[in-house]
Amino acid sequence: MSDSIAIYVARYRPGQDEAPTEQRYDVPLSTDLSVLEALNYIKDELDPTLAYRWSCRMAICGSCGVMIDGEPRLGCKTFLREFADRGELHLRALDNFPVERDLIADVERFMDHLETVKPWTVHNSERPVSEGEYRQTPAELERYQQFSQCINCGLCYAACPQFGRDDSFLGPAALTLALRYNLDSRDDGSAGRMAALNADEGVWRCTFVGYCSEVCPKDVDPAQAVNRGKVASTINYGLNLLRLARGEHDT
Amino acid sequence: MTRKPYRAPQRWSWWLKNPAYRRYLLREATALPLFIYALVLVTGLYRYTQGQLAFTRWLEALQAPGWLVFHAVAVAACVLHAATWIELVPKLLVVPGISGRSIKRGHQVAALIGSALVLGAALVSWPLAGGAS
Amino acid sequence: MRQERADIVIIGGGGAGLRAAIAAAEADPSLDIALVSKVYPMRSHTVAAEGGCAGVVQDHDSLAHHFDDTVSGGDWLCDQDVVDYFVRHATEENLRLEHWGCPWSRRPDGRVNVRAFGGMKIERTWFAADKTGFHILHTLFQTSLKFPSIRRYDELFCTDLLVADGQCGGVQGIHMATGETVALLAPAVIIATGGAARVYRYNTNGGIVTGDGMAMAYRQGVPLRDMEFVQYHPTGLPGSGILITEAARGEGGVLTNSEGYRYLQDYGLGPETPLGAPQNKTMELGPRDKVSQAFWHESQAGRTLSSPRGEAVNLDLRHLGEARINERLPFIRELARTYIDVDPVHEAIPVRPTAHYTMGGIQTDGRTATVMPGLFAVGECASVGLHGANRLGSNSLAELSVFGRVAGEEAAALARSGSTPPEAALLGEARDNAARWEALRGARGTERLADLRNAMAEAMEEGVGIQRMPGAMEKTAATLRELRERYGHLRLEDDSLAFNTEWLSAIELGFLLDVAQAMTAAALARRESRGSHQRPEDYPTRDDAGYLKHSLAHYRRADAPEVAWQDVNITRSRPGERLYGGAARAKADADAKEEAEP
Repeated sequence: MSDSIAIYVARYRPGQDEAPTEQRYDVPLSTDLSVLEALNYIKDELDPTLAYRWSCRMAICGSCGVMIDGEPRLGCKTFLREFADRGELHLRALDNFPVERDLIADVERFMDHLETVKPWTVHNSERPVSEGEYRQTPAELERYQQFSQCINCGLCYAACPQFGRDDSFLGPAALTLALRYNLDSRDDGSAGRMAALNADEGVWRCTFVGYCSEVCPKDVDPAQAVNRGKVASTINYGLNLLRLARGEHDT
Repeated sequence: MTRKPYRAPQRWSWWLKNPAYRRYLLREATALPLFIYALVLVTGLYRYTQGQLAFTRWLEALQAPGWLVFHAVAVAACVLHAATWIELVPKLLVVPGISGRSIKRGHQVAALIGSALVLGAALVSWPLAGGAS
Repeated sequence: MRQERADIVIIGGGGAGLRAAIAAAEADPSLDIALVSKVYPMRSHTVAAEGGCAGVVQDHDSLAHHFDDTVSGGDWLCDQDVVDYFVRHATEENLRLEHWGCPWSRRPDGRVNVRAFGGMKIERTWFAADKTGFHILHTLFQTSLKFPSIRRYDELFCTDLLVADGQCGGVQGIHMATGETVALLAPAVIIATGGAARVYRYNTNGGIVTGDGMAMAYRQGVPLRDMEFVQYHPTGLPGSGILITEAARGEGGVLTNSEGYRYLQDYGLGPETPLGAPQNKTMELGPRDKVSQAFWHESQAGRTLSSPRGEAVNLDLRHLGEARINERLPFIRELARTYIDVDPVHEAIPVRPTAHYTMGGIQTDGRTATVMPGLFAVGECASVGLHGANRLGSNSLAELSVFGRVAGEEAAALARSGSTPPEAALLGEARDNAARWEALRGARGTERLADLRNAMAEAMEEGVGIQRMPGAMEKTAATLRELRERYGHLRLEDDSLAFNTEWLSAIELGFLLDVAQAMTAAALARRESRGSHQRPEDYPTRDDAGYLKHSLAHYRRADAPEVAWQDVNITRSRPGERLYGGAARAKADADAKEEAEP
């Protein structure tokens, strides 16, 4: 193992650069140094002008997603030792989002999409807190538990070519969040979320590339969620046809 | 003080950059040989309606090396498509009682072995039962 | 400079800020609520809380038990009226989170499950596996999205409170994407910016936990209370300080030293409990201050392990088995495997105490109001009087909801009736502040930001750590004075406007230095040992006659902070001896006997 590694970072300074260009930094190599720690080293010791997001260092806050050698990954959960043999790695801001500066992507679109799927519980009859909890067995919890593990890091959006082609697509995390609430035994709001799922920007935009699930750092499997959303959307369509045939109103 | 975000255009070659995307496009591309194969079959059916001679000529034509290669490709595409199908479809199915979430690898393998056994039994028992004689 | 108006401004989008926003929106949907954060709300450090959230729920538990555990855990420095309010409302707030969709772990019958936690007599810690803070934060964030009156200002970095005539009338900040100054005026301001453990070198905190709100209030004359009480969490990963939850011990994990000995029995927490049968308030389920202090003594005695990342002891979970670890502690397994290549199913996890939580903060009353009209504070940045000298694990997540709601409702009431101070004065102040920050952006001195930050963090570990020695504390105070001076000669390399994170880090360092000075001054002033504040050399015992009081650090610009004192509100629990393990049980038995035969 050599004692240092070359980290190439795609720099973009708005107003100064027309497009991102790579800048090389040589960072001392140690086996347990993460890419995030390497960035902190660069910022402290080599170049304080480098801009990136980070906070928790433990893969739960979702801030530090970047493209590492072309793959969307969390900086805090990727270690330099993986690249030691090649002696270099390349970083750029998350794909499919506009780049604000250096490694900072503009994720506003993603935030809007989260809101679109109405990610909150709806109860048909509001029960006062004094009456205690809604019962939910461990089996009922397990139905949606995996889909509630999303840390909103945006890696799946950087992995999704459909979102890259047109960012009006609600995308993996938002559609997963919709399923998370739809599968929650305490929730009665599925009907309200179907419009978003059925819409042009909804589940049918997904062509099951499946890369979102590969890059998910929390094993949420958004591809599964989105495509189960297609099943739900189909059933919803069928039921609506039936209702129309009976002369009822569409829901 | 306005923002000036950089937007990278999605180039036609986006799918070349990443093995996951190449696998995806390969899967999608399997549709093409399968489509052509379907056309070939429909042609055969049409020839069949034109009489035995036409049908025999069609069969002979298919023995040209180019068509043999095509059929090899079509079989490969078919297998690949089936494999990805088997890989993906279980993500959509939740079988209550078997697992809390969805079908797992073990269920898939069990289903495949089960199907193979049933098919094998059928193939063996068909001639025994008199078959197409 | 952009000027905006709202009825309520909330600084900080973590658990406390979000809960306050929702409470205010529910109290009066016509109020315009601005939720300001330097990160997207779900990045806030509430996300990293793991173990759980307290609330009495079992039939054989009682509010009195929760009260007693909290007050004795806090070494009687808690305001007892506040603790009373807290224990009475914790469970309903946990239930409200349940109704909003928080995926609490369940018992087979579908009821909410609870687990054991340090210093708690009876299991009352609600949990969502070992990602409780993550789930609470995301539940609150997602729930907040349904209120159109909550307007988010994401990635707006607050720098100053706007104050005129002694009244708070808003806040100003830097829009991170453009560098533009934003003045946000409102008759009610809630600070919910979290803690400040980044003043230490080894800590469990995210990079954003830099005491911003504490320093902003402090600079405006609002005292910081009980700042000397900093919690060292007993089990962080050596080197990084990444948190390994107390729930690991609640579920039955044990701590052993280099000799494989469960050393906590030597520190008043024994007798040793059998493996796999943890007992409340005993051994590994002692309070955090005592467990962390025991590590220090083991280290002095040379009985810690040396790991590549520094001294450690072993946290052994192997006897729990893979299934239970996966069910109850999946995140701990992921963290240990990822960050130190240890699978807790097969190996013990090396751990050591690391700075975790600031018990103190902006002084507030029991309704989250500060001494400054118009200004409220809630959550870790505040000192509402709940935690005293040592916080019990799982009380802080509950605090976010209980007092977050109070803050939201109080601010809503004020916003309906209150008035903003003269706008011209506020905006004038904002322009002056902006000019100062502009000057910092162009700072061309000689001092490097990273050097100052590292020197501060080392000095804090040295002087204001687990055990505080008089010489070391004085030295830290002197170092901090010197660093404040050197801070005036910073050199920044980046003078751009868009996401100038060097500039923002420099502002954060200013906040950190002020908070570190308050901590050190309060630690020097408190000449006793209590809870997490231990002075084994010069004042090794608790002194109720002299120091059954809250410390109040007042900002004095270039000079050292001035420390004043405030009485503790004691309603029904007179200060006594903190007993754990066998001693506590013996005392309880004796009390029961006395009650039976008066």
